[in-house]
Amino acid sequence: MKKKLAALVMSFTVVLSLAACGGGPDASPEDGGSGSADGGSKTVVIAMEGEGLETFDPGYVYEKYSHVVMNACYENLFKFYSNDGAAEPCLADTYEFSDDGLTLTVTLKDGIKFASGNPMTSADVAFSINRCKNLKGNPSFIADTIDSVETPDDKTVVFHLTEPDSAILSKLTYNAVAILDSKVAKENGATDAEDAAETDTARNYLDNASAGSGMYVLTKYTPNEEIVLEKNENYWGENASNVDKYIIQLQGDANTQMMTLSSGDVDVALNLTDDTVSELESNDSVAVINDPTKTVAFVMMNMDENIGGPVSEPKVQQAIRKALDYKGVQEIVGSGTITPYALIQDGFMGSKGTRDVSYTDVEEAKKILADAGYPDGFDIDLIITDLAFEGTPLTDLGQKVKDDLALIGINCNIVTQAWAAGYGDAYRDGTLGLTVMYWSVDYADPNVQLEFLPGGLVGLRAGWEADMDPEIAAMAKSCMEATEDEARTAILEEIQDATYEYGPFAMIAQAPAHIGYNTRLTGVAVSDPYTLDVTMINIAE
Amino acid sequence: MERLKFIGKRLLYMIVMLFGVATMVFILTKLIPGDPVVANLGQRAMSNPEVVAAYRAKYGLDKPLLAQYFIYIGNLFHLDLGTSIRTNNEVLFELKRCFPATIELALMSIILATIFGILFGIISAIRRNSALDQGVRVISVTGVSIPSFWFALLALYFLYYKLQIFPGPGRLSNIYAAPETVTGLYVIDSLIEGNGAKALDALSHLILPSVVLAAFTMGLITRTTRSNILDVMSTDYIRTAKAKGLSESKLISRHALGNALIPVLTVIGMGLGNLLGGMVLVETIFNWPGVGQFAYASVTAADFPSIIGVALLIALNYMVINTIVDILYGIIDPRVRCS
Repeated sequence: MKKKLAALVMSFTVVLSLAACGGGPDASPEDGGSGSADGGSKTVVIAMEGEGLETFDPGYVYEKYSHVVMNACYENLFKFYSNDGAAEPCLADTYEFSDDGLTLTVTLKDGIKFASGNPMTSADVAFSINRCKNLKGNPSFIADTIDSVETPDDKTVVFHLTEPDSAILSKLTYNAVAILDSKVAKENGATDAEDAAETDTARNYLDNASAGSGMYVLTKYTPNEEIVLEKNENYWGENASNVDKYIIQLQGDANTQMMTLSSGDVDVALNLTDDTVSELESNDSVAVINDPTKTVAFVMMNMDENIGGPVSEPKVQQAIRKALDYKGVQEIVGSGTITPYALIQDGFMGSKGTRDVSYTDVEEAKKILADAGYPDGFDIDLIITDLAFEGTPLTDLGQKVKDDLALIGINCNIVTQAWAAGYGDAYRDGTLGLTVMYWSVDYADPNVQLEFLPGGLVGLRAGWEADMDPEIAAMAKSCMEATEDEARTAILEEIQDATYEYGPFAMIAQAPAHIGYNTRLTGVAVSDPYTLDVTMINIAE
Repeated sequence: MERLKFIGKRLLYMIVMLFGVATMVFILTKLIPGDPVVANLGQRAMSNPEVVAAYRAKYGLDKPLLAQYFIYIGNLFHLDLGTSIRTNNEVLFELKRCFPATIELALMSIILATIFGILFGIISAIRRNSALDQGVRVISVTGVSIPSFWFALLALYFLYYKLQIFPGPGRLSNIYAAPETVTGLYVIDSLIEGNGAKALDALSHLILPSVVLAAFTMGLITRTTRSNILDVMSTDYIRTAKAKGLSESKLISRHALGNALIPVLTVIGMGLGNLLGGMVLVETIFNWPGVGQFAYASVTAADFPSIIGVALLIALNYMVINTIVDILYGIIDPRVRCS
């Protein structure tokens, strides 16, 4: 019996040992296989978090990691070719605003073809915009200021706007208004009719195949496992990338990404952390980027006295702004973190840069608090939710804010509430008194930050009504209408000056992205609109 | 005949139990705070009543709770588990997609756990209180108490990253395309495809995660086997057999093991049921697209149809495994009758 059992165990162990030693590295790529990350192939393997990858249908796409795929497979009228630059024509050839800013006329480039071989016309543009609006999905807001789309001929698209919108070009770069091959989309159940929310059935098709004019086509998507993008053989433009194929492995764990990058199994790791980055320092074949994104964390103090209590008072808000240890927050969030000057992130057009960490002054904060009538401070609930700010749990930031405020006598009682179980509703309804939250930009334009002003989406969540500060509220309107960059920059600077030491928000950090990549690649960079612009990556010859 | 009747009765119970589970989970998911609209819509979309209304209508969330319940239960009769709020796919489709990955991992883990668990248990019992016994007991206690996510990271760090003995995360190396789906188990599907190298590659990717997952169950099996063999060895009939001059190996294999294995079978059954429910952290670390990851994503998105679907799948696993274990009891020990 013992011999039989031992033989069984031995043979099992031998099979496993053979399996462990055999397979992978020495074998050659088979048809349809992915190719290895190194060895000079024209395949690039990317490790990326899979959370939020729910759809690749332009009409529904919203989460940040979907943009990597969308930007590769689809194109828009305009595109950001650099992270901090302005929107530039992509499918558009020329564009022109009317004098009143209510009409935008765009002419398409010649010879644009979809991956299917179908030529692109203005009808495809109108279809894509109208479908996005009428699906009433997560990203439909992007077309809110577009009243209607007119197509006088095959090459011309006329956008009639509901109000002048200085961010319209940036909005038109967003993946939700990427131009779909309307013929292919319609064949698979898409519609741009007003009742599209109920009648459009193309999502399942578009989740597994692409119908755009981008440099790549989506050939495979296995949820929680991998995405395969292959070169679009019918690409109409000039290929800026020499990569033939991308395999995006969905790896949720930063340690796993670090190990697979370091071992050469992947070429790019998108979700590294401070700890994992330090592990890569000794690896000569790996380079690391720690550059700031436009995602910001902020302390929100409700302006409504009934909700915010003492933190609704401007002087108390200023005392809090002075008491916060911005340097300490930067250390928690990790290398590459900066603190924006005010409401506009560093890197955006019109930004006044960063707030110096020496702004913190506990003694002055105490004085301001005493002036406000709270020499001994006060007790207050600090509501924190279960989300993470680019990898840093908001609970960590909440604890830091609590420690900082304790130094001036404000005793915070941390109350945690799940996002989907109460916090989300309370945040939306503006019933949180004091909280720490974050904001990712929907589209890469400083105008997204106008929502923080009185009467704006986020402003109202802090109880900041437009009539409380009509002058600041008016700046938002002027900024929307300023279609000339110079005029808009001037207004954005005014907004930052007005909110540097005033208002219900203290912007505490601008998060970095930690990206690691194999040095055989060039063109890897942080991208706020696309997370990673794979169309700019090249393999060094 | 008796056994067939037993299975028939169990099947009937199973159907009733599944509806019970569906009702319980439905009520629980509605009782706990958590709104799919808040969980799935972005901050801007959430602020637009028109978008929120369209979203609620699309997934039937605008209907009264009782109506939602009856629609759900009615659909269950047609094996329709509803549509995932998160992915917009049929829940049944999603489960079919991710369950084979979990089955493959769970089967490999339970095979490892059973073989090594029983072997260690026997060795430990035979060499009671020896250094070997102490060593085996240390391994089994470590297996039971080590947190699986930590063990997973250690295993990956040393055996893949540092020593490069095992392949990295995922089900296959990058050079291979996934085999044509027949069973969904990559090793078997690769063999069906006639690609031995791919099957070996898939098998090699299974080793690390399955060893990590096997550790806990193996520890339990070792301890249960050891204590049961020791119990059986002290019974009168074993003493009698020993007095008749039977060798120790014959005593164990012919007389002790059969009886000692009955409780072990329960542990194996429970272990397999546990593994088939999916292991979120280990699946995440090893990039394994199984039920655990799907369940986690469904919970965070308040995706009620998917949560109920996963609960039904787990309940079904346990019921089927328990039935099989009951039948095996009768085979291993003829004194146990199906009733």
